[in-house]
Amino acid sequence: MKLSAEQIEKLYQFTRQHYVEYYDLQTELVDHLANAIEEQWQQNPKLSFQESLQIEFKKFGVFGFMDVVGQRQSALNKKYNKLVLNELKTFFSVPKIIGTVAAIGIVFYLMKQLQGDFWVVQSFFFVLVISYFAGMVILTQRNKKRNKQNGKKWLLKEIIFGYSSSAGLINLPIQFSLHLKGENYHDGFLLLFSFLLILLGLTEYIMLVLIPSKAEDFLKETYPEYEIVN
Amino acid sequence: MKNSQLYKGSLTTIVMKLLEENGRMYGYEITQKVKEITKGELKITEGALYPALHKLEAEGVLEVEIENVDNRLRKYYKLTEKGTSETVNRLAELEEFIKNMQSIVNPKLT
Repeated sequence: MKLSAEQIEKLYQFTRQHYVEYYDLQTELVDHLANAIEEQWQQNPKLSFQESLQIEFKKFGVFGFMDVVGQRQSALNKKYNKLVLNELKTFFSVPKIIGTVAAIGIVFYLMKQLQGDFWVVQSFFFVLVISYFAGMVILTQRNKKRNKQNGKKWLLKEIIFGYSSSAGLINLPIQFSLHLKGENYHDGFLLLFSFLLILLGLTEYIMLVLIPSKAEDFLKETYPEYEIVN
Repeated sequence: MKNSQLYKGSLTTIVMKLLEENGRMYGYEITQKVKEITKGELKITEGALYPALHKLEAEGVLEVEIENVDNRLRKYYKLTEKGTSETVNRLAELEEFIKNMQSIVNPKLT
């Protein structure tokens, strides 16, 4: 005996009740539970839907689906970091590297000229940090609105739009800028500084603009079902 | 999984070997296949299988396909090109491990 569409919907509800928020994971777990229940019915046709569901759920252990959700999260975080890194790499290979090096050069030159007025450099950092947070807030809001429209959450989408593991990264420029004083810094130090500034700026651009703009492609690649249900 | 500590490290290799033989498989099918091959001796737990599958997918070893079967969506896993060559390495590693364990557990007297 096969499960009805109504029972499948009940299984989706069941996963939601057990803290599986994301549609991609729900789908996989629903199919698993459905297969297991159908297998049980072959052995013992008298079992009710609820009874066999409870038997199967117990097999996931005391933490239920939590382990599966947690591990899926860390796997997709890794995937996201890889996406950022891959985009970043393109800025350090031909032809984009020409622009990157030029930008580092300009920042270096400016810093050398502005050594007395380090507040100018500090405000650069300030702008970087503020725009990062502002960008994240805007992205998250936009995604929330979209989620409300179709009611399905996708884990990778949540990571791309707003929930990001690298928020700690932005602490670095704050620390840097606080420790700057108007002294005569060594050229090597200034160069390293310019490099870091550009690197942060690029990472921010990739996370806030580039990857969200390609999000649909990444989602379709990760989730073949994305197109079917959306 | 029976005596899970001993099998834990080999779970991904087991999954890759099965996919190499069977082409594409879905989660539940993998648990059943292992049970069948080992005549119920080895049971892969759900809590261990899916994290392993997701990790391999994120590493680019596996790719997924979706199909609509019996009122529901089914997610199939199969090896990527990278995964196929990786399977050869991991199997060789596992065989080496088994050989070493055997010589430790059953040392031949010379």
